[in-house]
Amino acid sequence: MIIKDIRINNFRSYYGSNHLSLSDRLTLIIGDNGDGKTTLFEALEWLFDTTGENRKESHISEKRKSELEIGESDEVSVSITFEHDGEKEIEKSFTFERISESEYRTRDYKFAGYLIEGAERRFTAGDRLLNICFEPVIRKYCLFKGENELNVFDNDTALKTLVDTFSGIRQFDELVEMTSSFEQKSANAANRELQNDKKVSNQAKELNAQLNDVTNDIQNIKTELNQKKVSISEFSSKLELLEKNQETSERYQNIKERIKGQKDKRAKLSALSMCDYSTNLLDEYWILRSFPAIIKEFSTKVSAFSKEKRRLDKQETERRAKEEGEREAISKIQKLANDAVPLPWNLPDEATMKEMIDDEICKVCGRPAPKGSEAYEFMCNKLNEYLAHIAAEANKNAEMKEDETPLFPNSFINELHSRQIKLSGDTEQEISKIATNISDRLEFVTKRKAELAEVEKQLQDLETEQNDLLMQSGLSAELLDKSISDLRGFFDAKSRAENRVSELETTLKFKESTKAEIQEKLSQLEPTSSMTQVYQRVHTAFERINKAFTNAKEQNINNFLQMLETESNKYLQKLNKNDFYGIIRIRKTVSNSARIELYSDNGTRIENPNGALKTTMYMSVLFAISQITTLKRDQDYPLIFDAPTSSFGGFKEDTFYNVVDTIDKQCIIVTKDLLNIDKATGQKALDFDTINKLSCSVYRIEKAEPFNDKDLSTIQTVVKPVK
Amino acid sequence: MAVEKLYDLWAARNPQWEKRYEDSIIKNFCDYGRGATSLREDRGKVFGAGYEIFIVAFFIGLYFNQKRPLIEDTQKRKTLGQPIQYWGNIEQRGTRKSYPKLREYIFTALVARTDIDFIALEKGEMTSRKAVDMLMQTMEEYANWGFHFMEDKLTDDHNYFYRETAFLEIFLAFDASPIESIEDDEPDPLD
Repeated sequence: MIIKDIRINNFRSYYGSNHLSLSDRLTLIIGDNGDGKTTLFEALEWLFDTTGENRKESHISEKRKSELEIGESDEVSVSITFEHDGEKEIEKSFTFERISESEYRTRDYKFAGYLIEGAERRFTAGDRLLNICFEPVIRKYCLFKGENELNVFDNDTALKTLVDTFSGIRQFDELVEMTSSFEQKSANAANRELQNDKKVSNQAKELNAQLNDVTNDIQNIKTELNQKKVSISEFSSKLELLEKNQETSERYQNIKERIKGQKDKRAKLSALSMCDYSTNLLDEYWILRSFPAIIKEFSTKVSAFSKEKRRLDKQETERRAKEEGEREAISKIQKLANDAVPLPWNLPDEATMKEMIDDEICKVCGRPAPKGSEAYEFMCNKLNEYLAHIAAEANKNAEMKEDETPLFPNSFINELHSRQIKLSGDTEQEISKIATNISDRLEFVTKRKAELAEVEKQLQDLETEQNDLLMQSGLSAELLDKSISDLRGFFDAKSRAENRVSELETTLKFKESTKAEIQEKLSQLEPTSSMTQVYQRVHTAFERINKAFTNAKEQNINNFLQMLETESNKYLQKLNKNDFYGIIRIRKTVSNSARIELYSDNGTRIENPNGALKTTMYMSVLFAISQITTLKRDQDYPLIFDAPTSSFGGFKEDTFYNVVDTIDKQCIIVTKDLLNIDKATGQKALDFDTINKLSCSVYRIEKAEPFNDKDLSTIQTVVKPVK
Repeated sequence: MAVEKLYDLWAARNPQWEKRYEDSIIKNFCDYGRGATSLREDRGKVFGAGYEIFIVAFFIGLYFNQKRPLIEDTQKRKTLGQPIQYWGNIEQRGTRKSYPKLREYIFTALVARTDIDFIALEKGEMTSRKAVDMLMQTMEEYANWGFHFMEDKLTDDHNYFYRETAFLEIFLAFDASPIESIEDDEPDPLD
């Protein structure tokens, strides 16, 4: 069956009539998301559906529906013409009519087939014609939607269906059944005769009873053996998964620990790099960074006023002394060289003065002042003056005469002077250190922040690694945390089952040899009747024939799988040109299904081939099946794929289409590959570089512009032949 | 009777500021008018009590040595919740430290930058009240300039102070080395 044309009328987005002529090799139908690729595929699925009358309203083109006036009608139809022992056509259609503003009625469902002979078209039932030319079982291996449907062996009956359909050994089943029944009947007949034979009757009865027992035993052993083998296979696949997980689990744990370490580090660094710059202005007195200059101003000012005050004070005292003629008062005033203003009375303080006198050193100028020297006397006078001042201050108010109002009744300058003293020394030093403190702190924080950024980056890398690991393994974090303990249990169960299998196999061998011995003895009984001997011989003959057919059937399946494997590998090699591809092995499982597996040349199984490799692996098997079908049926059948290459990268896509292009088989691929995005406009355009290198037919399907992005009735797919 | 101290008289006062900065600056950066400051972090404010931004404004004016007289209309002025003597006393475990000494430095700066005839004060020719009034005026005018400065920054870039180092950077721009002599000239007010 080779499809020549597809016509789609008013089927969903395919408004009006649309037509595609297909090449008998590759036809590419290229469209972007929402352009109608899957609709095209589903139109064919609808056409190929022979299970019943299906005329869903949702199949009708919304655009066409919206155009109809009440009472008007139109038709939805999908049809193909194809070559299959001559040209043929099938068409499925139904009529839809608008009966009110919002209601439509569907009617006149038709599924028609036509045999075309020259200008003549002979009508036949569509479903019958389709089932003859494109059997349901073959259709099953021809239409594939997406990458996930490509594994044809994903159910237990798949292999049997395939073998039954394509290997041509179905008749073996009947033969095996028939010869087995002959064998059974002849055995019964021979036994009956033996047991009736006077000479060997007793022996025969006893041997038959033994044979019966041993046959039952063997049957039971085989049943159990089969069960055990199934469970070993289940345990093996679970273990395989878990063992793979164990490695993943170890890596996962390792990453988890590293993440924890980095998180601790991050917490520490975050704390260290925390700095409230604004409140530190106050809390840490950072705002005083430029304050030394202000202190200087303050000191200068206070010193000036203090000095002025003392000068005025001295002047006043002198004036009073003069006025009152108290010469003693003058003599009490300490004269300094150059008539300089003396230090305030409270400087140095009492304790300092006493210490200097005791040590006989002037600690202001650093020179020795031995007892009796002028300097020593000066210090003693200064101390006396200090003490006198304190005493005088205490009695000041009491002694003050009414007319003697003091020149300076207030002592604010002294207050400021004390403050000046407080600000000097340690305090000034502390303030001048603030600038350095700030820059040290900023530098520290900058360094910690840089470290923090590095830790954040590492953490992000680790988390990406962790996510990648989870993605690649397809396992949950939870499973990875507990898989090690599960492993033990499965391992134990598996080895118990294996031990039992080896026990059963030994027993089976023994029982079978016992059975053979008994049968041998039975056959060696020498009955008196020659008729009994004939029965025995007939039975022996049937037994051999049955064995031969059983073996032939088994051999045939193996041959079929071998052939499928060989063909698949040829395609795999082609599809993965210039890339790693491995070797496909198709294994028969205990439950008589098949499994497609990929192996490396050195015998290692490739557990998880990448998406593209997996897809090409399944596709190779599909091509191989199709190839075998062609051989067995002397007919070719199309392979129709909807978006089979979504896991491929650009390079792989090119290779893939180049290879499929050269395969001698009708292939219809609906895809969004081979579209280039124009970065400036966001528009997608066909990749003509690649397309021009292909010899296949190419169609572009697109939404007709303009359309309302919220109104389905404005959507229309336009089919344009590209080459 | 204890000797009257200029510092104490000053510290008992509560400076005035122009009401127009209440929403744009004070409430924007502080929890002014909201009682306890314990929820500062939750509200995402830069500072706690209202006086904190006043102090910052004051120091900006001080270091720029720029004063700006307050608006004449006393109706358009406001005072803070607490007199100076309580400023910086509150400590919050883990988040804030107290800074009582800062008051003394503010006082020191005011003395340095206010043209008071201390001899007249000492002689009793000028009242201590008058002297403190003058100190307060200096304080308010520096702060007023500081507020104006901040408002200017906000007008240029509404998000200016959302950078965590924005306030610090203002202070890092000032010279930190001791200056031998300071210009006593009163600078022109901003505008």
